[in-house]
Amino acid sequence: MKRRSWPLLSVLAFGYAFLYVPILLLILYSFNESRLVTVWSGFSFKWYGELLHNRQLLDAAWLSVRIAAVNATIALVLGTLAANALVRHGRFRGRTGLELLLTAPLVMPDVIIGLSMLLLFVALQQTIGWPDGRGFSTITIAHITFSLAYVAVVVRSRLARMDSSLEEAAMDLGARPLTVYLRITLPLIAPALLSGWLLAFTLSLDDLVIASFVSGPGSTTLPMVIYSSVRMGVSPQINALATLVVVLVALAVVVAGFSLRRR
Amino acid sequence: MKPRHASDEHRLSRLVNIGLPYLWLGLFFLLPFVIVLRISLAEPQLAQPPYTALWEWVEQGILQIRLNLGNFQLIREDDIYLAALLNSLWVALMGTLGCLLLGYPMAYAIATAPERRRIPLLMLIILPFWTSFLIRVYAWIGLLNANGLLNNFLLWLGVIDTPLKILHTQTAVYIGVIYSYLPFMILPLYANLTRLDPTLLEAAADLGCRPFRAFTRVTLPLSMPGIVAGSMLVFIPVVGEFVIPDLLGSPGSLMIGKLMWTEFFANKDWPLASALAIVLLAVLVVPFVLMQRLQQDDEGGRT
Amino acid sequence: MPSPSDRRPLEPWQDPKAAPYVRIDRVTKQFGDVYAVDDVSLNIFQGEFFSLLGSSGCGKSTLLRLLAGLEYPTSGRIYIDGVDVTDVPPYSRPVNMMFQSYALFPHMTVEQNIEFGLKQDRLPRRERAERVNEMLDLLKITPLRKRRPDQLSGGQRQRVALARSLAKHPKLLLLDEPLGALDKRLRENTQFELVNLQERLGITFVTVTHDQEEAMTMSSRIAVMDAGQIMQVDTPTAIYEFPNSRFVAEFIGSVNLFEGKIVAIQGDDVLIEAQFGGLMRMRSLQPHPIGTPAVVAIRPEKLRLCQTPSDDGVNRLQGVVEDIAYLGDVSIYRIRTGGGTLVEMTLTNIQPRTEQALTWEQEVWVEWSPTSGVVLTD
Repeated sequence: MKRRSWPLLSVLAFGYAFLYVPILLLILYSFNESRLVTVWSGFSFKWYGELLHNRQLLDAAWLSVRIAAVNATIALVLGTLAANALVRHGRFRGRTGLELLLTAPLVMPDVIIGLSMLLLFVALQQTIGWPDGRGFSTITIAHITFSLAYVAVVVRSRLARMDSSLEEAAMDLGARPLTVYLRITLPLIAPALLSGWLLAFTLSLDDLVIASFVSGPGSTTLPMVIYSSVRMGVSPQINALATLVVVLVALAVVVAGFSLRRR
Repeated sequence: MKPRHASDEHRLSRLVNIGLPYLWLGLFFLLPFVIVLRISLAEPQLAQPPYTALWEWVEQGILQIRLNLGNFQLIREDDIYLAALLNSLWVALMGTLGCLLLGYPMAYAIATAPERRRIPLLMLIILPFWTSFLIRVYAWIGLLNANGLLNNFLLWLGVIDTPLKILHTQTAVYIGVIYSYLPFMILPLYANLTRLDPTLLEAAADLGCRPFRAFTRVTLPLSMPGIVAGSMLVFIPVVGEFVIPDLLGSPGSLMIGKLMWTEFFANKDWPLASALAIVLLAVLVVPFVLMQRLQQDDEGGRT
Repeated sequence: MPSPSDRRPLEPWQDPKAAPYVRIDRVTKQFGDVYAVDDVSLNIFQGEFFSLLGSSGCGKSTLLRLLAGLEYPTSGRIYIDGVDVTDVPPYSRPVNMMFQSYALFPHMTVEQNIEFGLKQDRLPRRERAERVNEMLDLLKITPLRKRRPDQLSGGQRQRVALARSLAKHPKLLLLDEPLGALDKRLRENTQFELVNLQERLGITFVTVTHDQEEAMTMSSRIAVMDAGQIMQVDTPTAIYEFPNSRFVAEFIGSVNLFEGKIVAIQGDDVLIEAQFGGLMRMRSLQPHPIGTPAVVAIRPEKLRLCQTPSDDGVNRLQGVVEDIAYLGDVSIYRIRTGGGTLVEMTLTNIQPRTEQALTWEQEVWVEWSPTSGVVLTD
């Protein structure tokens, strides 16, 4: 392990290139005045301009962000509760069932989740009258259902690695269980809570298939708009959007990296 | 260990921690599958909702139950469905292998890199994951086009004379799958490799084992749980993939995810789509259970 | 040199009218099939520095946790200051604990750590600040008050942990391997500090340790444990000089164990026919029927070189020096008798090494007095 293995390093380099070249190309061509990928006709911001005037896309983006935020917050709560159960409550009745229910959404193909949830909403509407129409709430509910499984994974691993003697010490010093949880446990797993929230947010923002199944008229999400644009082929506005997304994410990561190092 | 003298607070916390997630998942994850099963046994009709009821009271005291097995028969008889299923399994298998072939060396390289470089290297793997999956698949359209970058690059190099048709072929689907699912393979592999005891390799070397052999005899077998975990995380979802075959694949080679989508949205045949979902679920149960069993073994071995 | 524990004049456990501060009444703790603590009964008195001593897995840590309330007994009751606390959760017990890993809250400063327990009691701010200052002063860690645990050395962390556990002025303090993480020099100093602290504050300390020296140096009484049960509870002196079983004799320090059979009783002494071929007369105030197999335990430092070697006589044996270990202040000699028995003898090196008492292969006669050992019959 001390020796540098050149074949290994070259595979690593190839892997990174493989991952990043498509993204970098998108960014490059978002500034291409020409619509075609093959011809470079000059540096231009015009696609960004068009993007920012694209009403339909901006509305969809706003909808997606709101759904993602609500989804992430509720999924964080439910996922953390589930993680508590699995880590702190030992062998309870129904534990295997919970584990299964928390693993299945991680691997289940989106089409199945989407189809099944739509059928649920239709059946619910028939029997109890709710949901009245499909849109924000149905998409959010569907997203929460798979997001919470991801949150549970992230929070669970951090919770399991936490030193339980810290909680015991707090109890020994007179803190009741709820106080221990709020003042000791949660602050110590805070990084996992944050990454769980961000993970749920990203997954929701990115979901096409499930949203397509459970949305209704008037609730078009950003991925749905992107999808209809790109079915036809290359779309320069989408290139511009891609660039913005990548820059945003990269900035967020850099900021996170710095703030972590400061601690 | 929690005392069996459960205080009220303890009992409440159990109720909330176990009960709420269970309730949500039971209602919004499990119940839908029951409904899918039910609808797979119905017939399509031009109405709201577009499927027939399974039972109705025809006269007083007589309950008529109609179970339509026609959907499942259709799936069995019409070749297109079996072909799509087999193709999906094949694509998933190839995709998993591709991810493994590229992902394992990458994970190994990162795991054996100096400590301070590991996190940044890992971050670079995860970073694309945080950007839109849809957009990244879309990026390959421009790349693999007949008029796209890859072809132009190869033409310019002189390696080919006429553009290769890669886009809208099965090959493009393979590339798309490996591209999108690579992080899902690398992360579990990395986690497993970093947990391996480096002194095992030292012991092997001490006993006269050459590096490559030490790898195949010691590291590889011990990283099996990581390989299986990563493979399952790729294989199972890819079987039902929709976006990648839709954007990058050919209309001819069908995958079951796309078929379900078409039956549902284009043909408005909800019962058939449901039946396909049931079939797909049945197929995926096997690898899923395998994955669960291996998770438990792994956890059992560690305690 | 007198150890700190010898200074205590009171011995409440000898006083039949004294009520114990901690009473452990037939407590058992089961984990599945394993009996971590097996039907243990123990009385601990106020002001004691009490140690639970044993090797890992003997149940001492479990017993401590039972006192803290972090575990609940499978059966039995626990009383602290006369109150039945068996079902009382740890946050309601008048007990505080210092953890082996110190368990300092990493996201809080030293001050905040110490203040934590006081906050739980809803002590008003001014009193909290006073108490925190008092603790910082007591443990001499005032300059560290604004630091976080990861900015402290091991010794400093230990003091903070101690300060935190004393902040609520508990009557009973539990310490889990308090000196385990410290290096040797620090350990010796801290031993004395701990004992002084305890005497000044008048708190009852119960500690868990696997280090016999530590237990012997600091404790008023020691409970030696093995496999979930208490083997002997006594002062360090009594445990060392008068072990009640083979296990305890072997656990503390080194010991020679001579197997034999009781052949006669002579007043306060018993006569034992030893396996190594000689006769032993040992003081034993317990009644033993003739013919009982017995083991005589004699510590190596109690053996002497015989001035007048002779074949007959009681309490002597002959052998050849097989091994010598020179430890500077003392030398340990391993002597093999004709019958194959190995005997260990310790002699202080009164003369410098060049003029040793004994050398290898030298034939020696070893003797001892009737009061220099104990007779053990299981």
